[in-house]
Amino acid sequence: MGPGLVLALRIFAWVVVAFMMVPVAISLPVALTSGNRIAFPPDGVSLRWFASIFADAVLLGSVARSFWLATLAAAAAVLLALPCALALERARFRGRVALETLITGPRMIPQIVLVLGLLIWFERIGLAETFLGLVLAHLVVSVPFAFRTLMVSVAALDRRLENASATLGASRARTFVKVTLPQLKTGVIAAAIFTFILSFNNVTLALFLSALGQRTLPVEMFQRMYVGGMTPVIPAIAFLLALGGAIFFVLLDRTIGVFKHLAGRD
Amino acid sequence: MTRMFRALRWVLPLAPVLVLLGLFFILPLGELARMSLLAQRPSPRTPEPAITLANYANVFADALHAEMALNSLLVGLTTVAATLLIAYPVAVYLTRCRPWERTIISVACLLPIFVNVIVGILGWYILLLPFGVVQQALTALGLIDGPLRLLRSFPALVLVLTHEHIPFAVLILASAVQNVPQDRIDAARMLGASNARIFRTVMLPLTMPGIVASAILVFALSVSSYLIPILIGAQRVPVVPMAIFSYGTEQMNWPMGSALAFVLLLGVAAITYGVTILAGRFTRRGQWDLV
Repeated sequence: MGPGLVLALRIFAWVVVAFMMVPVAISLPVALTSGNRIAFPPDGVSLRWFASIFADAVLLGSVARSFWLATLAAAAAVLLALPCALALERARFRGRVALETLITGPRMIPQIVLVLGLLIWFERIGLAETFLGLVLAHLVVSVPFAFRTLMVSVAALDRRLENASATLGASRARTFVKVTLPQLKTGVIAAAIFTFILSFNNVTLALFLSALGQRTLPVEMFQRMYVGGMTPVIPAIAFLLALGGAIFFVLLDRTIGVFKHLAGRD
Repeated sequence: MTRMFRALRWVLPLAPVLVLLGLFFILPLGELARMSLLAQRPSPRTPEPAITLANYANVFADALHAEMALNSLLVGLTTVAATLLIAYPVAVYLTRCRPWERTIISVACLLPIFVNVIVGILGWYILLLPFGVVQQALTALGLIDGPLRLLRSFPALVLVLTHEHIPFAVLILASAVQNVPQDRIDAARMLGASNARIFRTVMLPLTMPGIVASAILVFALSVSSYLIPILIGAQRVPVVPMAIFSYGTEQMNWPMGSALAFVLLLGVAAITYGVTILAGRFTRRGQWDLV
């Protein structure tokens, strides 16, 4: 590749960086306004809208709800998916491909289709507008993701260590706790963090399934944008969310490598 | 006996997930299928009506639904084209830039996966508002004169969908480009091939599985997206998932919503399958899923 072409690619790549960053970063100056309207450039500078996040009980309630929902869904998804990944990675039977397809199935169909089915089904079995129903719905879409992520680490397990442990007389349980689990530690942490972020950011499931006063944070933000009457408190919390996401991303990339776990599917 | 124990060793670890997916994935889809074959009941107390295909007939007969289907298809195809055109050069550059550049570019390009979709939509909404940043910039550059409707338009919808789906294309394409053996490119260059020719005869064929996989994924994600259409395109660019949302939550017409949901599901599946088969004639089958 000639230097001219590399330079052209370089300029293009940096224009794309700006294209990706500007919409995410624009919420900061807009939220720093001292006025009441959403506009750029802002009318004066103040932190009043960031302060008003902490005076908005509805918003704070939705943050707490989102946090617990994502924590429960991530923990349960990892606990359920780990045995599956361990069993299926070693499995050599004919149904294996079918089982893997079933487990990853909820991610293969559009979420809006799945959530309408869940809404109708929950209405029928009495889980409609309950927190439990919401957690179960998140679990259905988190398990496939946790499974995929854990499969990467399970496939990388060094089986010779387990054999050595068995040869040295350790029981199966002891081998699992002392030899297998430590090797899976980063994979488990990655799966838990990814599924947490996924659930925390999910709009679709909670938008269809949660009760009126029980909105999650993304749904609360959606409703204020959709119905209207949005104040700069929404850009303020949006900026905090963006900042949190970026920090999570850099930390994950530093410790375990994001590319490996996100692109590790082929 | 031993045989049964051996079977149990496979079944026990899988059982909780199978029960979960049976109860909250398979059965809801079954319920959705059943609902799509029923007529809308005026009230829950009305006796359950007989099975009918009327909802599906309505999906295809209604002019608004036809417009939505056409819009969805156009939006999906345009978004795929825009996403690939942006992501491919970035993926190529990622394989030959310095580590610090690689970190910044990949953080920027993968950000939408980690940051809530609402944040991105809000950002674009602010940028595209009447008298907003983009309009001020275009006016300052002398490109436009007077107000311009940027929000609630087809280009705006494609723009925001492209922004949201670039990460998936970059992830897949970066690994595809990385896997192109450098010696093939060097060999072609030594034999006197131009950049354009190297791209056409070496890069393109070898990265085709990645291109197909990311095209399918971005298409599936953008035609089933409804948050971006609702908040950016709104009623000016109606698409199928907007109608599913409306039937499902606002109008409470579940039979119609279910029929439309199945048409969307089957449409996406058919196009995915068709493209995979077509592409399979040139390449190996690409793997994909909806992240």
